[in-house]
Amino acid sequence: MNIDIKLSHLDDVSLICQIQKGSHEAFAALVCRHSNRFYRITYRLVSNKDDAEDIVQEAFLKLWGRPKLWDPNKRAKFTTWFYKVIINQCFDHNKKKKPSDLPEGMEEFVDKNPGQDALLDAHQKQAILERFIRELPERQQLALNLCFYEGLSNNEAAEIVGVKVKALQSLLMRAKTALKDKVERYLYGGLI
Amino acid sequence: MTMHVKHFKQNMLVYGSDVYNWPEGVREAGLKALDRSPELQALLADEECFEKVLKMRKYEEPGIDLSGRIISATQHIKKKERSNPGGFFSELLREFSLPKPAFTAVFVSLIFALIVGFAMSFSNPSWHVSAEQYKTNLEEFLYYEGEVL
Repeated sequence: MNIDIKLSHLDDVSLICQIQKGSHEAFAALVCRHSNRFYRITYRLVSNKDDAEDIVQEAFLKLWGRPKLWDPNKRAKFTTWFYKVIINQCFDHNKKKKPSDLPEGMEEFVDKNPGQDALLDAHQKQAILERFIRELPERQQLALNLCFYEGLSNNEAAEIVGVKVKALQSLLMRAKTALKDKVERYLYGGLI
Repeated sequence: MTMHVKHFKQNMLVYGSDVYNWPEGVREAGLKALDRSPELQALLADEECFEKVLKMRKYEEPGIDLSGRIISATQHIKKKERSNPGGFFSELLREFSLPKPAFTAVFVSLIFALIVGFAMSFSNPSWHVSAEQYKTNLEEFLYYEGEVL
């Protein structure tokens, strides 16, 4: 993808201003800069590569169609605002789709056989971990994904989730504590 | 300032197991407390193991050209977006790849043809119907095939 070097040096605000004037080159520069970052959080929330790619594409299409939806005067960074857009789309997508099932037999295993880690291979452990994360309340999942997996600051994550920093930290602590408890019981037989 | 176990644990959950990455305000106290307490060292080792497990989480990279896919998907939308007549004509110009003078010539001749057409139709009196002619036409209609409607 050939991106205008001058445009690739512009910050997000300037690019959006160009996009609002109809510059497709500026849009291309913005997409190249951010598509992977937004794909990552989308994948974390929907657990499916194709769905994640479609959601990111749809969000950028919306931005291209109505670039004035983001108002730089409202103080939120472009990325913060776009995270919110993407996250809302993910939640809508998850509501429409039935919850993803564990591999065959895993359901029973998770319910009845705590501490049997030796019987599980890495793939199965990943599937169980995914299920544990999905069982967390929505906002705890978000806090964990944004702070732990995406490495965002507590401040930025709080703005995205729409809570105060203290509340975000509390969500993160509860998410990790609950997860740790389940991981200890079911995956590593109390080794952690 | 001494950091107690509870406070240390909270910071560990919020900022992660790498104490050097904690915010400045709590980093120093955290490192000192860690240095002195085997209990905190055990807690930290425990958290490191847990984070390793979390990092096992499955992740699939996006397709090679996700950006390209998004960009090309918006290219056809671009053509539909027209905010003003000027934009419409410049898009039309691009669409047909005509040089600007040629496009102007086509545009002017179309306008000219339109004006000539209007002038000719207004100057032709064929559509004028006299009162007498109108009356005859009405009678023909009313007495259609000899019957009064």
